[in-house]
Amino acid sequence: MTATPPQAGPVTPSGDTPGQAVKPQATARPAPARPRAGIASAVGSRLAALLLGVACVVWTATPLPHTGLAKTALVIAIIAVTAGALRLATADIPQPEDQFFLPAYLQAWLSFLFLLRTLAWEETAVVAILWLEVQHPARPWPTAALGAALLAYLLTTHIAESGADAGPLLRRHAKLLIAGACLLAIGAGFAMIPAGGPGAGSAVLRVIAAAAVIVAAALVLPGSS
Amino acid sequence: MSSALPNVRGRLSQRAAASPGLGAAAADVPGVAETKPAANLGASSHVKTEEVAVDWRPSRHARRLLTLAAAALLIGLITRNPAVAGVAGPPLLLLGMSRLGTGRAAGTGRKDAAVRQGASVRPELVSVRMGLTATRFYEGEPAAVDVAVHAGGPAGAPEAPVADKAAAGYDARWMLEPGKGIEPGSATAVNGQAARFTFEIPRWGKRYVGTVTLILHDRWRLTEGRVTFDLPAVDCYPAPAVQRTEVVLSKLPNRLGEHRARVPGDGAEFNGIREFVPGDRQRAINWPASTRRGRLQVNTFAAERSQDVVLLVDATSDVGRPGESALDLGLRGAAGAARAYLNARDRVGVITYQWGGVHWLAPSLGRRQVYKIIDVLLTADTGYARGAIFSRLPRAALPPGSLVVAFSPLLDGRFVESLRDMRERGFSLIVVDVLNTVPPGRRLFADVAARRIWRMEQDAIRFSLRELGVPVLPWDGAAPLDLPLAPYTRRPLVTRR
Repeated sequence: MTATPPQAGPVTPSGDTPGQAVKPQATARPAPARPRAGIASAVGSRLAALLLGVACVVWTATPLPHTGLAKTALVIAIIAVTAGALRLATADIPQPEDQFFLPAYLQAWLSFLFLLRTLAWEETAVVAILWLEVQHPARPWPTAALGAALLAYLLTTHIAESGADAGPLLRRHAKLLIAGACLLAIGAGFAMIPAGGPGAGSAVLRVIAAAAVIVAAALVLPGSS
Repeated sequence: MSSALPNVRGRLSQRAAASPGLGAAAADVPGVAETKPAANLGASSHVKTEEVAVDWRPSRHARRLLTLAAAALLIGLITRNPAVAGVAGPPLLLLGMSRLGTGRAAGTGRKDAAVRQGASVRPELVSVRMGLTATRFYEGEPAAVDVAVHAGGPAGAPEAPVADKAAAGYDARWMLEPGKGIEPGSATAVNGQAARFTFEIPRWGKRYVGTVTLILHDRWRLTEGRVTFDLPAVDCYPAPAVQRTEVVLSKLPNRLGEHRARVPGDGAEFNGIREFVPGDRQRAINWPASTRRGRLQVNTFAAERSQDVVLLVDATSDVGRPGESALDLGLRGAAGAARAYLNARDRVGVITYQWGGVHWLAPSLGRRQVYKIIDVLLTADTGYARGAIFSRLPRAALPPGSLVVAFSPLLDGRFVESLRDMRERGFSLIVVDVLNTVPPGRRLFADVAARRIWRMEQDAIRFSLRELGVPVLPWDGAAPLDLPLAPYTRRPLVTRR
């Protein structure tokens, strides 16, 4: 009597024949994860985010004004853009399983990574850049261009950190982005019209701004409707 | 840390390369297999499906846009600069549009109307299907876990089609957080409705593959739903050592098998010639010999028998580097020996020894016995066993006349005494010495002297066993087991009392 000897190879549960795996019932085909590429993966979108951040800082810092904490805002913007880019670059570095009894340099590195991943660098950069922008004398069209660049910076940062395909995402956003550009142009054109009186324009602006903040908060917060 | 673990695959490749003529055998060793691409690992078996609630909240992108809009409005308000306030327009437009175009699947009134209008509906419940290419595999063997998401509640619920339709409008991103001792073989984050993550486990044991976080983004990527779930546990078996030859006892039990016995029988191998006696089969007559001698002569054949083999694994001490420790070597050697003897149709059992207590599995035949043996081996760990007592093992666990192959670093005095006791009870013993490390020592005189004394003690233990007729064969774990066993596999091991 000849019996089949135990074969080498993948172990299957008792009673299962090797190689007869159950066909997956999922309708969607699993997408194989790409080989580990570390920092090099998605380098394009990360580099684009860094360049857009740098462009925003350079655009708003030239010429550099010397009033109202402009230098401080510039330093904060540079630090925030750099840290945001570093956060994206080190996004693929995993945390070690055990963080006990590590040498000092490793603990310092982990603390640095924690700092990078915890703080809101992009938000800080946006606020610092806007503060730097208002230190200049009123310049509606450069400000509108800065608004477009800041939006592009935030969108690119999101694409880089989520690994989304840029093409479909931008196609989906195309109409809204065009509408947003029109809004920017309208805002810049409105800013070029001189105000009728010293107090009337600013009062209207105050009301519009407050209403816009309330509406935006009501629309965005989940469960509010 | 995982980085402290040695490269097991490299060691296994080295093991295969170090054995000439084992090209075919190398293919048998699962750990030697080259890393396959994720697509070549084959289809996965369904493991489980979980219904999990989605926690929806604004995404980081939405918070950034809100910050931009709020900062532009506030700074514009403070500085009375309408151009800066205008910067808030596009982000507010994005935020508003996303809010208008999204409804919740849990809502009852607005849901159907929203879907009819083509807006996306947030699924409150998704079902996540998990599958593994194998639930049990060897060290260093590549494996993959498949995950797929479906929207909706239980099957048959009226909400299911709506939710399925809604889920199609969401982007899914999977992020794998590997468990302890799991080495990911691919990227740990991937987009899509379904994903496959490859991984391997460098060291044996029961392991949790890890956790997967599913992030669902809406069309405008401003709200995200997070779901975190645990992946199933898998059993990682020790990679069996290469062993293609067997030690055969000279005195075999009267049971049909494949080993040639010394006594005549009904086997296929020629044994000798004797004179014909009534009752002999005619076809066994050796006509040339009968012609020469003038009387009828018949051929005799050797009997073919099987033997009982008991693998004894000493799990009292796990010394050495993780991945190459004495316990690792013992388990790999025992797994390889179990496979080799079961291939030869022998009955194989296993005993794992832990500080006087044991887990045991009675000798048996068949392919399933390999897995049963390895399952018993997996329970071996340094610690106290709650099983039987070694000195009172039943005959089923240790049948008389069986061959005992022990894998031990011989560091526990009680285990050595047990070996001596077994030898005195007439068991044929072979000890595979898996100690491949020495105590760390500095150059101080006391350390050097202590190390020398330790070595002398170890030599004395091995010498005393050899004097009792127990071969002690050192094995480093890299070479095939055939090499140290070679002097005993060429001829039958004489059973002496």
